[in-house]
Amino acid sequence: MRVYVNDKPVELFPGMQVKHALIRADEMAKITDGLKAFDAWGHELGLDGALLEGMKIYVKKNPEGKPQ
Amino acid sequence: MKRIWIILLGVLLMVSLAPWAEAAPVSLRILYVNDFHGFAEPIKQTNGKPSIGGIAYLAGAVDRARQQRPSILLAAGDMIQGNAWANLFLGQSVIDVMNAMKFDAMVVGNHEFNFGPKVLQERIAQANFPILGANVEGLPSLKPYVIKKLNGIRIGIIGVVTQDSVNTAPKNIAGLKFTPPESALLKYLPELKRQADIIVVLSHCGYPVDRELAAKVPGIDVIVGGHTHTKLTHPEEVGNTIIVQAWEHAKNLGVLDLSVEAGKIVKFQGALQEISPNTEKPDPQIQAIVTRYEDLANPPLRQSIGETLVDLDASRVRTEETNLGDFIADVMRQTAQADAAIINAGSIKGSIAKGTIRTQDVYNALPYDNYLIAIQLTGAQLKEALEHGVSQVGKPSHRFPQVSGLTFTYSRSAPVGSRVREVIVGGQLLNLTKKYIVATIDYLGAGGDGFKIFAAALERRDGGEMDRVVYTDTGNWLRDRVIIAIKAQKTIAPQVDGRIKAVD
Repeated sequence: MRVYVNDKPVELFPGMQVKHALIRADEMAKITDGLKAFDAWGHELGLDGALLEGMKIYVKKNPEGKPQ
Repeated sequence: MKRIWIILLGVLLMVSLAPWAEAAPVSLRILYVNDFHGFAEPIKQTNGKPSIGGIAYLAGAVDRARQQRPSILLAAGDMIQGNAWANLFLGQSVIDVMNAMKFDAMVVGNHEFNFGPKVLQERIAQANFPILGANVEGLPSLKPYVIKKLNGIRIGIIGVVTQDSVNTAPKNIAGLKFTPPESALLKYLPELKRQADIIVVLSHCGYPVDRELAAKVPGIDVIVGGHTHTKLTHPEEVGNTIIVQAWEHAKNLGVLDLSVEAGKIVKFQGALQEISPNTEKPDPQIQAIVTRYEDLANPPLRQSIGETLVDLDASRVRTEETNLGDFIADVMRQTAQADAAIINAGSIKGSIAKGTIRTQDVYNALPYDNYLIAIQLTGAQLKEALEHGVSQVGKPSHRFPQVSGLTFTYSRSAPVGSRVREVIVGGQLLNLTKKYIVATIDYLGAGGDGFKIFAAALERRDGGEMDRVVYTDTGNWLRDRVIIAIKAQKTIAPQVDGRIKAVD
C-alpha cells in the first residue's frame, strides 16, 4: 500500500495505520513534539486511523482558523 | 361533482396525516461515535493537557443531549476490539455498555471481525440494537438497513464497511464476501427510500471513500463515518450529502441537528463535543458497568497460563541473546510459519521469574500493542536487517535483535554495516540471493528503531507488493500469541542456545 506523508511516497504493509506511515516517513518525532497529522482536507487524524491507498497525510501545527 | 369533492377531501386528509405535514420543520438530533476500540477509561494526555474521553462521561453527554431534542444514537464501527478492557472479554463489555446506552444502530467495522465469526455472532446476538452490513454477504445476522421513527420522521439507516476488511483478519472472514459499498447502496437505496423520509449511511469505509460515495450515490442525506479516525469538527457537505465523523476512542461525541420539512433536510448544524472527564459528570449506570468489567479483568490477568522452569530474562535483551528473546522470536516464527524471525530488544520489557506464569507477566514483558507480520526478504536484505540490529553494540540498544530460525556471528570492532559474519538459516549458510520468509512486528515493518529494510523491501518489489507480504495479523497482539503458546506448552524452559555470538 502506498500513501504520502508530506507529499513523500511511502510503502507500507496492508492494514497499517497512520502511526506506521509517520514512523516510515521519520515524522513520528514531530508528533511527540506536539505537531499533528492531518488529511488532504485539513482534518486531524488519529494515529490509529486506517490508511487508504493513495491517502495523503500532512504533519503540521493546527492550521490557522481551524478549531481542533 | 360529489366524487371530486370526496377525492379532494381524501387527498387533504392524507396530506394532513403525513408526518411532515406540520407547518414548522421537525427537529431531529443524530448523536454519533466511531472507532471506540474499547477505550472505556479517560485517556491521559501529555504536555499537561487534561484527560479526555471515558465512555461513562460520553454517556453522560449523551444523556444531556437527549434531553434537549429527540435523538438517535449511532456507532460507525470498530467498537468491540482494541483496548484490553474490550479484548479480555472479546467485546462483551462493549456491547453491555452500548445496550445500556440504548444505541439505535451500529455498522460492523473491519476490527469487529478480529475475534472470529463465532464471537461476532455472539456479539450480534447480545446487542439490543441492529448491527448493519449491507455489503457483507454470508453473515445473515448482519442486517443491511433499519428504519427508525423519530418525532414522526422515518429515518432509513443503512450500513457499509470497507472492503479492506479482508486484510484485517483474513482467517476470520473465510466464507464472507465484501461487495463494493457503492454497489450495496445502489442496490438497497431504492427500497429504503420507499420506506423512509431521510437516508443515513453508517459507513466504516473512511473519510475519502465517504466523499466519493456522497458524490457518486444520489439520495444520501447524511453519512456518519468511521475507519480513518478523522476529526471532523464540523459537518462537511459534498453535493447534497452531509458527512460527519467523530475522531476516535470516545474522545468526542458527535452532535448533528437536523430540521426536516416535507421529507427533506432544510437546515442542519453540528459539532464535536469534547468529552472532558475533569469537568463533566459520568452516567452512573455506565460507570458501574465499566468498573464491573475492570474488576472482572483482574482475575484473568492474575490467571495462571503455565509454568517456566527457569527465569525468563529481559534484563539483557538490549545487549545480547536471552532466553526470553529466543522464546518470543520462536513464537513469532512458528505462528507466521516463517523461515526466521526478528524482534527488537526495545519491544521486550519485563523479565518473568521462574515458577507460575500469569497473563499479567506476559503483558509486562510485551507491553506494546504490536502485531505479527511476515515478509519475503532476500538473504542480502536479511543480513542488512541483522547488520542494523548490531549497529549500536557496545551500549544497550533498542535495536539489538532477538532472533529465531537463524544463528549469526558478528564483530564488535568492525565498522557499522559490516559487522555480521556468518549467518546460518535453517541449518544452511545464508544465500544472499535466496528468498526467505521473515517474521517481525508491525513496528519494525514500518521502519521503527531504524529497521527500514522491511518497508524498503516492499518498494523494491519485483513481483508486486502483496507477493512479498505473506502474513499480517492485525487483530491479535503479539503478547496474545505468546500467551496462547505458553498455554499450549504448559511448561517451558527456554535456554540461550547460541543464536547470536560476538567473535571479538
